[in-house]
Amino acid sequence: MSPVSATYWGIPGYVIFWVLFAIAFGLFAQRFYFLFRLMRLGKQENRFDRIGERIKTMLVEVVPQWCTLKTVTKKDLAGIGHALLFWCFSLFFISYIIFIGLAGGFGLSPLIERTPFETIYFSILDIAAVLVTLTLIVAAFRRYIIRVQRLEPSAEAGIILMMVFSLMVLHVFGVGFDHASRGVHTSWPPLGATLAGFLTGTGLSQGTLETASRGVWWLHYLVILSFMVYIPRSKHLHILASLVNAFFKQLGPKVVLEPIPLEALEAPEGSATFGVSKIQDFTWKDLLDLYACAVCGRCHVNCPAQLTGKSLSPREIIHNLKEHLLEAGPELLANKAEASPESQVETPSKTMIGDVVTEEEIWACTTCGACQEVCPVNIEHIRKIIDLRRNLVMTQSKMPESAQLMLRNMQQRGHPWAGVQSMRLRGDWTSDLELKILAEGDTADTLFWVGCTGALVERNVKATLSMTRVLKAAGVDFAVLGDAETCCGDPARRAGYEFQFQMMAEQNIENFKSHNVKEIITTCPHCYNTIKHEYPRYGGDFKVGHYTELIADFIKQGKLKLTNELNSTLTYHDPCYLGRYNSVYLEPRQILQEIPKAKLEEMERSRDTGFCCGGGGGLMWIEEQPGTTKINQMRIEDVLKTGVETVVTACPYCLQMFEDAIDHKEIKDSLKARDLVELVEGAMKQP
Amino acid sequence: MNTIVCVKQVLDPEIPPAKFKIDAEAKQVIPPPGVPPVISVYDERAVEAACRLKDKHKGKITVISMGSAKASDVIKHAISMGADDGFVLQDEAFENLDSFGTAYVLGKAIQKIGGYDLVLCGRQAADWGAGQVGSILAEILGIPVVTLAFAIEAVDKKLRVKRVLNDGYEVLEAPMPSLITVSSEIGLPRLPGGMGLMLARKKQIPVWKAKDIGAESSQLDKAKAHTEVTSLSVPTRKTECELITGGTPGEAGVNLALKLIKLI
Repeated sequence: MSPVSATYWGIPGYVIFWVLFAIAFGLFAQRFYFLFRLMRLGKQENRFDRIGERIKTMLVEVVPQWCTLKTVTKKDLAGIGHALLFWCFSLFFISYIIFIGLAGGFGLSPLIERTPFETIYFSILDIAAVLVTLTLIVAAFRRYIIRVQRLEPSAEAGIILMMVFSLMVLHVFGVGFDHASRGVHTSWPPLGATLAGFLTGTGLSQGTLETASRGVWWLHYLVILSFMVYIPRSKHLHILASLVNAFFKQLGPKVVLEPIPLEALEAPEGSATFGVSKIQDFTWKDLLDLYACAVCGRCHVNCPAQLTGKSLSPREIIHNLKEHLLEAGPELLANKAEASPESQVETPSKTMIGDVVTEEEIWACTTCGACQEVCPVNIEHIRKIIDLRRNLVMTQSKMPESAQLMLRNMQQRGHPWAGVQSMRLRGDWTSDLELKILAEGDTADTLFWVGCTGALVERNVKATLSMTRVLKAAGVDFAVLGDAETCCGDPARRAGYEFQFQMMAEQNIENFKSHNVKEIITTCPHCYNTIKHEYPRYGGDFKVGHYTELIADFIKQGKLKLTNELNSTLTYHDPCYLGRYNSVYLEPRQILQEIPKAKLEEMERSRDTGFCCGGGGGLMWIEEQPGTTKINQMRIEDVLKTGVETVVTACPYCLQMFEDAIDHKEIKDSLKARDLVELVEGAMKQP
Repeated sequence: MNTIVCVKQVLDPEIPPAKFKIDAEAKQVIPPPGVPPVISVYDERAVEAACRLKDKHKGKITVISMGSAKASDVIKHAISMGADDGFVLQDEAFENLDSFGTAYVLGKAIQKIGGYDLVLCGRQAADWGAGQVGSILAEILGIPVVTLAFAIEAVDKKLRVKRVLNDGYEVLEAPMPSLITVSSEIGLPRLPGGMGLMLARKKQIPVWKAKDIGAESSQLDKAKAHTEVTSLSVPTRKTECELITGGTPGEAGVNLALKLIKLI
């Protein structure tokens, strides 16, 4: 007889069962509704497109646990533990529905209990319980004994570990006491049956065992219910929210910044604000991100700013924003209820920029995307940081002086490099070359877009010249804009100067169209990413290629033969905007393999776990904050560990950063920084 | 409080010195290709000073620039910083005027705008650096002038100005309206905010010709100019290097000191 069928102090078990359930579910739903209303405080955003694709993505990420398994490295195996926990706990979750819900609550126990199905299922659960327990021990050990850097040993984590552990124990005890009290002698399920044997051996009376069995059953039920109540009140909200977040994840390019809606400009004079200064300025998806965070800290240990001792930690930003939302939430909801629909929701007592997220944190981000790449729950950190920058720059006019100087140059001079000693003039590099330079009215199908750094900075001009010679050798018919080229707008956009970016984008698109350009070849991954993924939003649809993709193709088609020996060992550094942002990992390596006697050694952090050079997100010009070291120097240490003679990259910023770091370390004689295209030119059969 | 700011569009002072070319014969600077002209750095500070006053006292800022039609870019820049209105003064007759001619044209435009409490100029232009237009303009308008200001306050219908001196500053008071020239010590001009950028983008900048402001051709006659450029050259820089030695580092130091004493 199921414990639910019994009567307790004159009250039928069923009544107790459903009253308890109603209380727990009520508490769960209350919190859930509160969180839902908080999320709705955020601004609108459409993430309801491509539903089929979204469902598929969600299932692929969650069910096979690709979300955490993708983050497993030699040094961090925790993803395997999470996958085990997820699968095993899913089995338990199903068992709660069947054996407690259906069997107990709906009185279907005669159909379910003591059936072979139950025996088999419980036996599987025994294995799962062992696996879960082992995983829990490892998890506790990592948190409280080793104190792994990425994890904060919080009380919340401890409570959950204990709860899950008690569920495992109660499963085994439930079976054990049940069998013992009914005098069943079997060997399945193994753990429960063994316990039952032991209990029978203790000589406890039938009555005591029956009472104990009921006690265990109800205790088990209570722990399950408290788990349900606790989940949405702890970081384990991620169990629910990450699933939803996987559905609503950013499809297509990995890091996408949304243009500022033009309605922002229609606010009455003086009241217009841009970007995000209050928690409710984020979109609902941004707020959902906060719920999805399990504070696993993978972003924390992959963030170049954090690793070099800056105050920025993506984990802390997300966590602090979540705490702020929960704290300010009731006040915001109350204000919203009072206010008319048109009026603004009042500001909570804390100033978000300053009290919750500091300006130092906001300006330390290189937008390298390491945090988003490694995040198992699809949080978009970067666009939040850029939204905060937008507010600082365009509304509050607060930014580091170096950022202001760069943005002034962008605004007045159309490029970020003014005032730099080695600066050249935009069209200088074209002199002495027979190039097709587009004048007004000229047209060209293929445009070689040089980019500011490649045109203006001495060291990078060398790579630009190599590029033109490689293109010519491959027989490409291309044109350049010469001194009529301006910046693509990337540094302005990453620094939060959105409208400046927008004007530059529109101007460039118009310019491309006036020359009838169809295809654009880039050397700079930042230009590449911007023109390829961001210009279409402003009406600029062009075929955009990075030179690494192009050259790899030329080699395949036999248009380019690399025959000269290099005789050097080298390592390839993945530029963030080429690798993580655009998944171009293969082509550069294919090219390097084609160069005779070029021995490629991979760094430990490479491809999608590649480590930033420190130059992205506008930080090429914005002064790096004091920390334990500089990002470019930390990356050069990675290079030095491989013991190679040359570090190769395919981005002008990375090249600059490496030249700087090599200078700083005074290791010019033993290590050279080269752009891949320079090596290609060197290996090319000279005409 | 209504302010009129005079700004000039100049060759970008940030271009590398090696790229600076002149036509000595025509006594003209040859602008390098692909480098957009910018607002003169001191004039930008004058706009900043006007914006700071507007932040505090409200009012209207009008910006004028004499130059080519492209001078609308610097007017737009001032509008993006916080100015309300602007006009370009462009006419063939205005080309190559000296400081007196320039001040005359600006004066005519300012009289046309009228209703001002304050006229601001940069301490000098970042290209020719004559530093005369402000004072002459004040003379033409018949208002007091304070030069080299680095802070301006409006107190009881008066302007309290901190003026840069060689060894500090002095505080002066001037009535409204007055003309003040602004020095770089006022600090870095603001970066145009989001609203400013968008407002400036949409703004149409009217162009005023000589007849629009009632400038008389007799006053614009270059033959009657008060100043004349007699020659134009790029300064040559010579570097001489002498290594000072000594038997010990101490002796070398002594020799260096002796050498320096002689040079002083």
